[in-house]
Amino acid sequence: MMLQEVAIGHETVRWEPVPAEEAVIQVQNLNLYYGKHQALYNVSVNFPRNKITAIIGPSGCGKSTLLRSLNRMNDLIPGVRIEGKVIYEGVDIYDPRVDPVEVRRHIGMVFQKPNPFPKSIYENVVFSLRLQGQKEGLDEVVEQALRRAALWEEVKDKLHEIALRLSGGQQQRLCIARAIAAEPPLLLLDEPTSALDPIATERIESLLLELKQHYSLIIVTHNMQQAARIADRTIFMHLGVLIEEGPTNVLFTNPKDKRTEAYITGRFG
Amino acid sequence: MNAAAWAQKKPSKSLKERAVVLVLFLLALVSVLTTAGIIFTLFGETLQFFRQVPLLEFLFAPEWTPLFAEPRYGIGALLAGTFLFTAIGLVVAIPLGLLTAAYLSEYAPFEQSVRVKGIMELLEGIPTVVFGYFALLFVTPIFQNLIPGLNLFNPLSAGLVLGFAILPYISNVASDAMMAVPRSLREAAYALGATKFEVVTRVVFPAAISGIVAAIILATSRAIGETMIAAIAAGQRPMLTLDPRETIATMTSYIVQAATGDQPAGSLASRALFSVGTTLFVLTLTFNILAQRIVERYRERYE
Amino acid sequence: MQKGLSLDSSQSPQNLRRDRINRLFARAVVIPTVIALALIGVLLLDTLYDTVSVQVVEVTETSGKSFALSQALTADQVIRLELLAQGKSPEEVAALMSDPDEMRVFRLRNRVELMWATQEGPLRWVVSSIDDERIANYSLFEGLRRWNELKEGLQENQQLRLNPWLDYSFLTRDPSRNPISAGLRVALFGTLWVLGLTLAMSIPIGVGTAIYLEEYAPKNRLTRFIEVNLRNLAGVPSIVFGLLGLAVFVRGMEFGPTIISAALTMALLIMPTITIAAREALRSVPDSIRFAAYALGATKWQTVTMVVLPSSIPGIATGVILAATRAIGEAAPLLIVGAAAYVAFVPRGIFSEYTVLPVQIYLWISANLSEFANTAAAGIIVLLVTLAGLYALAFWIRRRYRVEW
Repeated sequence: MMLQEVAIGHETVRWEPVPAEEAVIQVQNLNLYYGKHQALYNVSVNFPRNKITAIIGPSGCGKSTLLRSLNRMNDLIPGVRIEGKVIYEGVDIYDPRVDPVEVRRHIGMVFQKPNPFPKSIYENVVFSLRLQGQKEGLDEVVEQALRRAALWEEVKDKLHEIALRLSGGQQQRLCIARAIAAEPPLLLLDEPTSALDPIATERIESLLLELKQHYSLIIVTHNMQQAARIADRTIFMHLGVLIEEGPTNVLFTNPKDKRTEAYITGRFG
Repeated sequence: MNAAAWAQKKPSKSLKERAVVLVLFLLALVSVLTTAGIIFTLFGETLQFFRQVPLLEFLFAPEWTPLFAEPRYGIGALLAGTFLFTAIGLVVAIPLGLLTAAYLSEYAPFEQSVRVKGIMELLEGIPTVVFGYFALLFVTPIFQNLIPGLNLFNPLSAGLVLGFAILPYISNVASDAMMAVPRSLREAAYALGATKFEVVTRVVFPAAISGIVAAIILATSRAIGETMIAAIAAGQRPMLTLDPRETIATMTSYIVQAATGDQPAGSLASRALFSVGTTLFVLTLTFNILAQRIVERYRERYE
Repeated sequence: MQKGLSLDSSQSPQNLRRDRINRLFARAVVIPTVIALALIGVLLLDTLYDTVSVQVVEVTETSGKSFALSQALTADQVIRLELLAQGKSPEEVAALMSDPDEMRVFRLRNRVELMWATQEGPLRWVVSSIDDERIANYSLFEGLRRWNELKEGLQENQQLRLNPWLDYSFLTRDPSRNPISAGLRVALFGTLWVLGLTLAMSIPIGVGTAIYLEEYAPKNRLTRFIEVNLRNLAGVPSIVFGLLGLAVFVRGMEFGPTIISAALTMALLIMPTITIAAREALRSVPDSIRFAAYALGATKWQTVTMVVLPSSIPGIATGVILAATRAIGEAAPLLIVGAAAYVAFVPRGIFSEYTVLPVQIYLWISANLSEFANTAAAGIIVLLVTLAGLYALAFWIRRRYRVEW
């Protein structure tokens, strides 16, 4: 692996990048502004295919903002301005000719708090198919998505009950099933277990490890142990700057930057 | 780099979204058009009215008799009736409403306040034609036994019942204002050894006074615009008097009387009707805007 | 409050007085609620009381006989007995009753009712003609007190009866100049027509406005203006909407005093109420749900129609029902746009003349009190029961379908 040096402001940071041909999505020189406030500084990183990449960092470091830039969810916030490129399946998704709605159909997302629609479990899972007017083969999709989300056995007898009656952990797995029902190659997860108890968290984590056979996963987490448990690669961010990126075990055992070291040893956060 | 086919914008889709926004915007404009319609029709007809009737006659003539052989157009007669009706209603509604507000914000436990609000909603939900019936057939006969010289149609019983019809407006807005008073103010007074009564009357009431005033103004506006109680029980005979035993007409009850009397469009009598409507509209709108301003100001102060 | 802290100070005359006032006030604040509740109770009881009266009727067209429940159970059986009692032969009666036209005329001119009591005994059927003359009408209390006296004073072809005005036939009879045979049928149909058309117009406008303001509107002065305007419109007296309807719909568009004029006027009147309720319902849908839909690739319109709107339907429905109760109870604007005319027939379309429940009640009250007080009271009970039903429905929807986020 080659070493690269890139100037960010007055800092010089080194990392070993994922080669472009192994990347599912590439971020190139991304700057993001909320009005006058800059939230991301010249971020460049390649996310590997069929792996789990964790983004960690203290709160307010821009990890969620980076994640939301990958499926253009930030467009929904008024006053956001973005420079740079995010290349996915050969397309810069910030190209003016690109429809952000289409982008979101190809990249799934799971949120911090479980947010099932107040509809039946079944209707939650098939929502993205309904959006595209698909009417046939829904039953098969529901079963496959729920099986992959490790929820099928628990809900197969009550598919038409309202989803809000499920427990928090079940709701979050339902949200994962909903996100993967349309088979997006890439799944973004924004602190998906932060609202859940340890047992539910453990189930989601083992689910994510299985999902990586079929999907590429990018997960934002405030929980370093979680990143260490499940992520193949980890990105550390601080104050909108990508400080360090690398294989998880390397980053956790041998951080190159003192801020990374300070964070993973719990000295700030 | 080219946008590949999978992600390309489809012009038809954005066209549809834009059409949706346009349709929704037009629907939202209906309310603006309604206001414009009210203003144009009322003011248009009223302008015509003042081409034929001098403003001085309108303001200072002692009678309102557009259908007489020698018609007079003194709005004063209708304003006096409206004033009597409204004032009696407020005399009933203000003390009852403020006490209820004090109960809701300071005394009532949660379940009890839900019940009291329910009763107030019940009062609010009773159609005013029913209140009118009650005033005329139940209250007036009782009052006639007690008060000599009381007409069958009189602002006294009508106003009394009106007081209950507008009571919910006062209690709702005033209790909101009182609940917005910060807890720290109350605690400061308790710490100085005040009783609850003293806290409520000397701390909470003064602190919430702008909201209470807004509540009263809002209720006044409702009372001025209240039609059926006045038309049924207060009377439809314009009279420049402040004697609550006399039959009177409010602006609203006059409008009912005149409009059910079938006057041809464009006649002076019909225009006179709209001039009363304009007066009513301007008066209630002024009161409403005033109340809103006051409410907005105290919201700013405490939020 | 501070009792027990210092016995001395709480025993001082001044503190005793403060304490007494404090306790009095704590009781006084409940009084208005009690009075309000009492007023509602008295109003209901008084109105119910007014729906029953004792009347003496001079029988000119009918037999003046009453028939026991054991003799007849259906209206047709009563009519047969009545026709026989009027001296017609069984053959004539059979012929009359098999002719639908004759029967229609008979039913238009007469009413068949079960009276609570007559001079001949309790719970008996009476057929009265609209030409029968009501000689005296006594309140329930007075009528019962003087029942025997009245019974003795009855002359030939006079009938004494305890009349429950609010019965099934009251709902199905056409209006009449004669209170004995006046009914609510036309007003009930008028209310249904006006309400249906009003809601059909005001729901799309009101909900559309709410969606625009909550989901689409940019934060600018025009939006702010629309919002302020809506709030002011909600405070405009209903009778002013009547004047607007009179000038624009009745006269300007030459719809005349018809259902369409009434419904247009009413739709504008309740539209702000619906908008305000719908906005609240839309606002209660958390943004996380919207983001979930966007993240799945929904367009804004898909998010609104497939997620936000369905989730807020219980709230919107509750608001619509409450607006409907307002539309049902409002008399003033409809009096102005022409519901006041005497209408004898059920409306046949949106350009029919009409009357509605509260207007019919107002007309009965203002027509001739001593004559129509009982029908007005019966009408009020029907109106209040209708409204109570709708409130219960709104309450039930609010409880049953409320989404706990």
